[in-house]
Amino acid sequence: MIHFFKTIYLMDYKNFVPKIVIGIVVFLILLVPVFTQHVVILSMLIMSGLWAIAAMGFTLVLRTGQFSLGQAAFMALGGYASAILTVHLDWPFWPSFFAAGLISGIIACLIGMVVLRVGGIYFSIITLALGEIVRIIAQNWEDVTRGSRGLITSPPPTIPMGFFEINFAASNVPYFYFTFLLAGITGLIFWRMGESSIGRAFAGVSLNKDLAEHEGMSLMKYRVIAFTIAGIFTGLAGSLYAHFLSVITPNVFGLWQSIQIMIMSIVGGISSLAGGPVIGAMLLYSLGEYLSRLQTPGLQPLLFGGVVVLVLLFLPKGTGMVDLWERFWKKIVWREEDWLGDNDDED
Amino acid sequence: MPPAGIWIDGLAQSCIYVTMAFGMVLVFSILGILNWTHGQFFMLGSIIVYYAVTAWGIPFPIGILISGLLVAALGVLIKKGILDRVKGDLYVGVVTLALIFALEGAASMLFGMEDRGLAIVLPGVLDLGAFSISYQKVAVILFTLVVMTIMYVVLNYTKTGLAIRAAAQQPQAASLYGVSVQKLSLEVMAIGCALAAIAGCIVAPLYPINPFIGRTPMIMALLAIVIGGLGSLTGAIVGGLILGFLNSVIAYYVSYLSEVVLFALVILILLVRPQGLFGEPLK
Repeated sequence: MIHFFKTIYLMDYKNFVPKIVIGIVVFLILLVPVFTQHVVILSMLIMSGLWAIAAMGFTLVLRTGQFSLGQAAFMALGGYASAILTVHLDWPFWPSFFAAGLISGIIACLIGMVVLRVGGIYFSIITLALGEIVRIIAQNWEDVTRGSRGLITSPPPTIPMGFFEINFAASNVPYFYFTFLLAGITGLIFWRMGESSIGRAFAGVSLNKDLAEHEGMSLMKYRVIAFTIAGIFTGLAGSLYAHFLSVITPNVFGLWQSIQIMIMSIVGGISSLAGGPVIGAMLLYSLGEYLSRLQTPGLQPLLFGGVVVLVLLFLPKGTGMVDLWERFWKKIVWREEDWLGDNDDED
Repeated sequence: MPPAGIWIDGLAQSCIYVTMAFGMVLVFSILGILNWTHGQFFMLGSIIVYYAVTAWGIPFPIGILISGLLVAALGVLIKKGILDRVKGDLYVGVVTLALIFALEGAASMLFGMEDRGLAIVLPGVLDLGAFSISYQKVAVILFTLVVMTIMYVVLNYTKTGLAIRAAAQQPQAASLYGVSVQKLSLEVMAIGCALAAIAGCIVAPLYPINPFIGRTPMIMALLAIVIGGLGSLTGAIVGGLILGFLNSVIAYYVSYLSEVVLFALVILILLVRPQGLFGEPLK
């Protein structure tokens, strides 16, 4: 009996402590603006938050077994939607922000209903082509998008909050909390989705689609749901991106950004819908940002590519950074002998 | 009907895409991976032949040979050192994607970011009455024909070619009959990379050279092998020809929209016939 309680206590303990540590880390990130309001650090965190949302979207689509190479196009769609709404149609920021997510989601849903039928590498090529089409149109539709000169956007309006006000134009701090909120909500929704029955349905659709179909699950339904949800949140991130940088140009959302989103997600780890993409985006974006400050042309892509290759070469079973976290607790902190991940390293 | 010059340009472009796509599909059929880094081997081929001709004073044809050999060696090194050690198709694909950044970065550090040009090797034009072609383009087309013929002979009339075809169809059965698939995959990787480098070499005098020239040919070759049917050599050649011609002929009518039309066409082909034009039907 005592043994039984001890096990329960130990098991809970082992679940509980890592979550507390994650909570503390998140809380510390939340407190960053209190310690430093340095533009470089804040914008680095904001941008990695935005890319993390896109990477989460990619991971969600990958959960259903579809390998999308056009996720950056949804950022472009969201960004351009809200930029065009505010600049050309004089909409205020907040409706355009949500409209951007809605437009991006609707387009994802419509496109998804057509192209998600096709699986595997063919789906990747189709999304690659769609992403390039979006970029080329944005580049050449001069009347609306101003081509490669880019659309100039204005920051969100100041929000009065009684004794103080949230002024987006004055500093990056409001953007930081806004991005944090958006990434946090996205992460929470995706995490809950992964734990719920729909998340298991996604995994089932991807792991054995014949069996899933046999069990009466509609492949298309789950694929379209995942693609649409990813589109909505990526579009919101794109809108925020456009307003944060105050300019949106076609070249920041091309195929190479889609590839970067994919790399962030894979290096971070695809076993978790929220944690992996966030870790991957924060590490790789800040690495890339730091390297591009060294003013040596070529060093940034060289080391970026090199680090990704090294991570995939040396991580246990190539499962991404998020599994290091689990490994850290199980192997180093709890010193579990019979951990599953140890035995099948050989093959 | 566009003028003949447009068609000739299209043919010259097709030559690059066909050579690239052929190497890519060869690698795919044996190794089972899509080598996204293929375009960067094309770029390295161009850069090596540029240095061979300008810095070391080697004649252009020998430069092509050196470039092909060096890039083939690099391809074998990458295959041995990196691709073989990563498990899982997904992760191998991601590694080749990451290598794009690494190789482009290395090339920009050594070569610089700016455009450089190689002097035309064969000056003069071939006058055919109604239109004229520069000798350089004729050479590109002829050279591609020669390379493709060599590949045809190698694949159909040599032991290695037989082994490659066998391993592409049934890797296990081929290894039962004494074909070392492991060794074969290295050879195929070398051939594929050399083909990409040769494609980069022969067009080096025609277009500006910089570390990013590999991107468009890689995407075009990828689209070519996908619309031609993944794993089909005929499909790769036909796909490359279609894309090369379409690219220049549509551009004649609608300028920048040509790329949109091209991508839209690829999407359409994949939606109607996901296995590609020459692929086997999907189950």
